[in-house]
Amino acid sequence: MSILADRNTRVLIQGITGTQASFHVKRSIESGTCIVAGTSPSHGGEKHLGVPVFNNVYEAQRQFAIDASVLFVPAMAVKRAVQEAVEAEIGLIVSIASGVPVHDMLEIRAMLKGSKTLMIGPNTPGVITPKEARLGIFPENIHQKGKIGIISRSSTLTYEAVLQTNEAGLGQSTVIGLGDDMIIGTDFCEPLRRFMDDDETAAVLLIGKADNAYEQLISEYYAAIDNKKPVIAFVAGEALPFGYSMGYAADIITHGRVTVADKKRIMRQSGIIVVDQMNQIHKALQELKL
Amino acid sequence: MNVHEYQAKKILAQYGILIPQGGIAYTSSEAKRVAQKLSSRGPWMLKAQIQSGARATGHFIDHDAGGKGGIRLVTQISNISYEAAQMLNNTLVTEQTGKSGRLVTKVYVEKYEEVKHPFYASMIIDSSIPAITLLISEVADENILTLSQQKDKILRINLQQDSGISDAQIYQILDFLALDKVYLQSFHDFFGKLLFTFINLDAQMIEINPVGILPNKKLIALDAKINFDKNALFRHPDILRIHEDFEENKRRRNAKACGFQYHEFDGNIGCIVNGEGLALEAMDIIQSKGYGTACSLNVKGGFDKDKIAAGIKIIMTNPRVEGILINIIGGFLRCNLIADGILEASQDVGLTIPLVVRFEGTNKEEAKTILQQSNLAVIFAENINEAVEKLLTRMEVND
Repeated sequence: MSILADRNTRVLIQGITGTQASFHVKRSIESGTCIVAGTSPSHGGEKHLGVPVFNNVYEAQRQFAIDASVLFVPAMAVKRAVQEAVEAEIGLIVSIASGVPVHDMLEIRAMLKGSKTLMIGPNTPGVITPKEARLGIFPENIHQKGKIGIISRSSTLTYEAVLQTNEAGLGQSTVIGLGDDMIIGTDFCEPLRRFMDDDETAAVLLIGKADNAYEQLISEYYAAIDNKKPVIAFVAGEALPFGYSMGYAADIITHGRVTVADKKRIMRQSGIIVVDQMNQIHKALQELKL
Repeated sequence: MNVHEYQAKKILAQYGILIPQGGIAYTSSEAKRVAQKLSSRGPWMLKAQIQSGARATGHFIDHDAGGKGGIRLVTQISNISYEAAQMLNNTLVTEQTGKSGRLVTKVYVEKYEEVKHPFYASMIIDSSIPAITLLISEVADENILTLSQQKDKILRINLQQDSGISDAQIYQILDFLALDKVYLQSFHDFFGKLLFTFINLDAQMIEINPVGILPNKKLIALDAKINFDKNALFRHPDILRIHEDFEENKRRRNAKACGFQYHEFDGNIGCIVNGEGLALEAMDIIQSKGYGTACSLNVKGGFDKDKIAAGIKIIMTNPRVEGILINIIGGFLRCNLIADGILEASQDVGLTIPLVVRFEGTNKEEAKTILQQSNLAVIFAENINEAVEKLLTRMEVND
């Protein structure tokens, strides 16, 4: 097992004919990902990289019973692409592009509510289960199959986190980039819940960062669950001066200035093991004696 | 993206929200003319136009400004040009600008409005719900930050995009402010328009500090701050047009022109990374060693060698920078492009300070070879901690 995606996950690529999509789809297919179809307006009926292309998600879904869709569409087209995938009841969406308008994300979150779809991203490297499925743009050559689940709020630090699990000799079960944006499809909680139920995952590594309240939410969640596996966390941005661009209102939203130090304290109180630097992660993992 | 108060007010007025009459002035004599046109006997409000809150409690640093802040009530027409002259071409420092402050190049002159019961109101996106959240507080202008930690001092109402504001929510606001129900209609009108503006213009935040109640019961926006979502500006060419970026410093504008993010801080190390997380990590490690970051350039998504070189030059020519740290984990971005960029930038502006590079991922070895064959005094490191240590050691030798 693993979570979200494995070698049997039937993957659709929305926007498959674009340059970036083509580059990464080719790599994903070469690393074993089961990509069954793609969409691209007015390219329906063609084949691209050996994959059948459809005009819309509905037609692809009817023919292939799609499990997951990776969105390579540009930021301004993400809302429509998500809507199509949600209407086709696809279980997982991974949205790569950065710069999706915030109000579009509000509408997207409203669409996702009560739907059958879990959305990862936007602005994410994606989801990867090493040697089985690569949904996104991860440099797959650094990944090793193993038993640590990774959930990260920072795209590039995800790669550092992967290297740390390799150094600990433990590898990764599944790696999830939640996305760097202010509003994302899913926070830490749902992926963590799935890791807790996953036989192949022995411990979970969380990478958080300075903005937002997602770290507080996961702390509350983790403190409340019964069936716990160890969780190690790193939160980036301790040295960052507080951002003033949003005025008082931004500080009120977070009930006063919640610093990285505050976040770490809240996480520790909930039983999460917090390290102060990325390069301490491998030691913390080894000390778990998994 | 922010606009000035007078621009924000103009936008609100277009959406039917009441604002005081006012005009912009670039010189002190112009300020007097505007004031005379607005009202024959005053009083007037004189407001420094910089994109920052807390202007009233700020202070000027270039020349004497009479010990007063950037928001002033003026009762005599004879004092208008004198007070305006104190503010114009003077740098205003507020608790939101940082130490360097912002240069005031224009003042906004307004007719003073007699209001009762001024209060704080803002709309902002609470990303953890997510929702558009309306925030209301009794106290205008005072320390809202302190209040924000006390639960009952600020009213929060979560709004959804499609459902608008209900009567029940307006009653909640009136109750909170201990106001009579006769204000229902005017509050409904004001906040309905504010929400419509917020959604229609892809705002991330609108802050009215304060809102006042006029004798005819209508609400008026005495101040206004709007922050727009930069990723949605393609839908709003009219707002893009009024945006002035000269408040941003030149290096930041240059970086933006190359498609990169650039931030400045108070230290003396320049960082070049590909990704926000890597930037934060580098800053954290530098701080843990007792040093500070001068500036940070994020070249994520870069694929044009010339733009990368131009970005690196911004760091190399920043006079604050005494050492450069480059941490690249190549994925989408290929390491060799960074190496080429370093070469090109060094040939143009010269490399006289220590430079440590850590490459990982796509085309790492190729990148190292390029730099090794160049005879540039580049120091290599295998990970970020080692990179910081090597850089600090070299910087100490240079001292």
